[in-house]
Amino acid sequence: MARSVWITDVGVLALACLVLCHSLLPAKDPHWSWQPIQTPSIPEVPGNRHPIDAFVSANLQTHGLTLAPEADRRTLLRRLSFGLTGLPPSTGEVQNFLGDNRPDAYNRLIDRLLATPAYGEHWARQWLDLARFAETDGFEHDKTRPNAWRYRDWVIQALNDDLPYNEFVRQQIAGDQIHPESHSAAIATGFLLAGQDMPDINLAEERKHMLLNEMVSTVGSAFLGLSLGCSQCHDHPYDPLPQKEFYQLRAFFEGDLQLKERKLGNISARIMQTGHPASTYFMERGDFRRPAEIVHAAYPAIANPSQSTPQKGSRQELAKWITRPDNPLAMRLAANRIWQGHFGQPLASPEDFGVQGEPPIHPELLDWLAAEIPRQGWSLKSLHKLILTSETWKQASLNQRNDPNWQRRLERDPANSLLSRQHRRRLTGEMLRDTMLAVSGSLSKRKGGPGVRPPLPKEITATLLSNHWPVSPDEEDHRRRSIYLFARRNLRYPLFDLFDTPALAESCSRRPNSTTAPQALALLNSNFVSEAADRLAEYIAKNSPEPKDAIREAYQLTLSRLPSKEESLNAEVLFGKAANLSDLTLALFNLNEFLYLD
Amino acid sequence: MNLEAPTILRRNILTATGCGLGALALASLLQDDLAASQKGTYANIHFTPRAKRVLWLFMHGGPSHMDLWDPKPDLAKYSGKPLPESFGKVMTRRKVAQNPLLGPIKPFRQYGQSGLPISEFLPHMARHADSYCVLRGCHGDSVNHPQSVYQMNTGSILMGKPSVGSWVAYGLGSENQDMPAFVVLPDPRGGLKGGPPAWGNGYLPGEYQGTTFRPGEAPILNLKPPLGRRSGEQAAISRFLQQSNQRHLEARDHDDTLASRIRAYELAFRMQSAAPDIVDVSGETSATRKLYGLDHKVTSEFGTRCLLARRMLEKGVRFVQLYSGDTNGWDAHKDVLDNHTTWCGRTDLPVAGLFDDLKARGLWEDTLIIWGGEFGRMPMSEQGTGRDHNPWGYTIVLAGGAVKGGMAYGGTDPIGLRAEHGKVHVHDLHATFLHILGIDHTRLTYNHRGNPERLTNVFGQVVHEILS
Repeated sequence: MARSVWITDVGVLALACLVLCHSLLPAKDPHWSWQPIQTPSIPEVPGNRHPIDAFVSANLQTHGLTLAPEADRRTLLRRLSFGLTGLPPSTGEVQNFLGDNRPDAYNRLIDRLLATPAYGEHWARQWLDLARFAETDGFEHDKTRPNAWRYRDWVIQALNDDLPYNEFVRQQIAGDQIHPESHSAAIATGFLLAGQDMPDINLAEERKHMLLNEMVSTVGSAFLGLSLGCSQCHDHPYDPLPQKEFYQLRAFFEGDLQLKERKLGNISARIMQTGHPASTYFMERGDFRRPAEIVHAAYPAIANPSQSTPQKGSRQELAKWITRPDNPLAMRLAANRIWQGHFGQPLASPEDFGVQGEPPIHPELLDWLAAEIPRQGWSLKSLHKLILTSETWKQASLNQRNDPNWQRRLERDPANSLLSRQHRRRLTGEMLRDTMLAVSGSLSKRKGGPGVRPPLPKEITATLLSNHWPVSPDEEDHRRRSIYLFARRNLRYPLFDLFDTPALAESCSRRPNSTTAPQALALLNSNFVSEAADRLAEYIAKNSPEPKDAIREAYQLTLSRLPSKEESLNAEVLFGKAANLSDLTLALFNLNEFLYLD
Repeated sequence: MNLEAPTILRRNILTATGCGLGALALASLLQDDLAASQKGTYANIHFTPRAKRVLWLFMHGGPSHMDLWDPKPDLAKYSGKPLPESFGKVMTRRKVAQNPLLGPIKPFRQYGQSGLPISEFLPHMARHADSYCVLRGCHGDSVNHPQSVYQMNTGSILMGKPSVGSWVAYGLGSENQDMPAFVVLPDPRGGLKGGPPAWGNGYLPGEYQGTTFRPGEAPILNLKPPLGRRSGEQAAISRFLQQSNQRHLEARDHDDTLASRIRAYELAFRMQSAAPDIVDVSGETSATRKLYGLDHKVTSEFGTRCLLARRMLEKGVRFVQLYSGDTNGWDAHKDVLDNHTTWCGRTDLPVAGLFDDLKARGLWEDTLIIWGGEFGRMPMSEQGTGRDHNPWGYTIVLAGGAVKGGMAYGGTDPIGLRAEHGKVHVHDLHATFLHILGIDHTRLTYNHRGNPERLTNVFGQVVHEILS
């Protein structure tokens, strides 16, 4: 009668789907992502090339293409600065770098940026999207989790400390078990518990079922690159895991779920505990009311070439298995994500290494990079540097020097999947906000701690329960980096909402890039942008009372370059009409050149 | 499956991989598809649409089906007695299963040529009895508000999935290039349980987001510059932007994404005049204002939003969702009479007026109108004269040219506890909504994390019996 969301004709449908889809699949699936990582030999190409360039140019050669010329130094500096820290270079940094003629100036710059705390603050965002991190439960009461920020701060710190990637993964799955003496490692397990929760649901069983299945799905997305959503209810040809294996994976977590905050010395945090391992029930059709046979912890067969079996079925064992050097998924995923972070496009679809995902365009390059991770001591910073020192990354994204071959790149590689040039990148909503604060000299340097709440329009807060957005009392907190803004599941910060920040409801490995009119309205008319434009104008006016100088400085601060003659004239016209420098600064915030990186 | 809908597949690839074409480029692509299909609507890919726009009157909190739409004489008979054992175990929110039954609060009368029975709570909507179909066998999956609000809007009791409005915007786009495809008019009292994710775009890209509209000076957020910035300056800013962006574009191979953003600004400037016009009701006649109850304190707030909804539908907004009910809204735990007198009093007359107006303006035939909450209410009493949540059986009303008028479809058991025949799950409702718009719910998919996701998951049966 009262049919649950999971109980219905799904069996019939899944069967129909199975018949249809299996006819499309090869009988024995040699799917690329589940094969052991090869250590491909670096292609022979003329010159002493960076291995990445050898792979990419060998491929380009077969299409009659070569790598594009290197971008100019100003462009490289902006790209590097945004790419590693999420922030633009200051005018001083621009001058220093453009004037630094030492042969290793570029490498020094990479090292310097990787060493700034801003690096962790920027790259944590990508990870927190995967971790569907928020500081509230969601649903009706959307209650605050007062210590959730500790996990966010752990991620930032781990990245800044260059915690080896295998350890980074292990601590988030089982830090409490691997390092029982370490509070920090226990806080890392906040990853598992960062998802949505319905504490006031009638049935505790339903809540627990939802939490565990959500946890397993997130582990699948973040560490195995497998989308496991459907396999909690039925066997599905799209899904790499049969339903039984989904519950075998869940068995690793079953006894350890902890719903309340736990004490860690004198602090509290939402972390896992160690309970009784390690079995669960196979839930028929994913319905918690229909437990069938008991299943025990086991590793997913497709990613288990050595056919190892867990001894106890503890999270600790799972964590170690995921990060074994012969587990192909975790390293390929890590390499793919860092690549995606620097090129805007991944080498293979990051959300799905399963049969539905796009196969990689450069499989050997992906494998070479993945194999490089353990060779580099699992250091992500080394992986960044490896990518950023390649000519492939340094390519221009536009035809700067009347390259006669440029048209051929566009014709033979229209989507730029062969990497015959650099991708143009859009700033994220978070980067956009931070950049407006930074260039107007008002970005707070405060770090860490509970999420802060800048004022919001009352039209927005009116859609919430009362007292869901108490504004942080200290005004400086309103100007902190976006990573520190309070992450409420029922209300994304409006600018982020418009610029495709994920819904924080499930793991997200790639954001869409929408272009909409409400984005334009927010950048033209919102209080935040208007105030940042005013502050920038005030700052400029102090140093440069003459309009011509003010225009030059405005361009330098926002775009790291001087205006052309034509631009100066246009700006003077605007300036003359408006007689207000903040109209110029507002206009600059709205330029395509401000939002997109070459 | 995607294979059968090449155009949608193409859009999925473009949007889901973000490989260069922006939203507006897509919109123009869609226009090309429109031209190619010759019949005028994108949905022709699947089959002939019976409606091209949707108006959803969402009664937040859970209206009582057995006190409004689903007459239960047996419930009157057994009022005060416990639930007979034959009904088995009932899952409830507030442990009311052992409470005495509570008879219908108000009498029902038959209306129109069809003789459709409607309670005295709704005298105005009753005038239109021959124009809508009452689905009495609806049911969902959760006894909790937010889960049910999410499910009614997105198909899932979990948060973060795309809402019906976003799916429709994704599937059909906008009819008016100056206005968003999907508009939400929340109750100004705020506090929807589950919050704005109820009308969220979930994993669909931001261009399919619902835009929140309000009556008054500032209908949408950021429409005007903040106080202190004169609007005359915007023309100068706009000119400067276009000049600079054009140069930037020319040096970058006329990149589609950059060109889309230039068009997005043009659209934003157009919206700045279109949006205030649409909420400016000063040109409406006093007869119209009266029709919507704008002349009465009790009805004027909801009436104004109903009037705005009509103006939007008229201007080509594809999907308008209007919420009635603050944090508690129609959630009559304590006293159904008191609660429903209040909320019916605020909405009944404006909704009836809206129906009249849609008919008079020729909008009725090709608009799908949905009236209903996230669930219904229990036949057992709570605190004497109230009722608890009931997702196991309740009523949703569908109206417009696409559905049979004066029809009651399906039903609950003799006391209104559970849907018993003509059962329509929320997934079936969604499948039916899309069907009416010409969309096959199994073919409107979006590739999300490698899976072709749909509004109806792997479920959903179209209720063909109610289609006119």
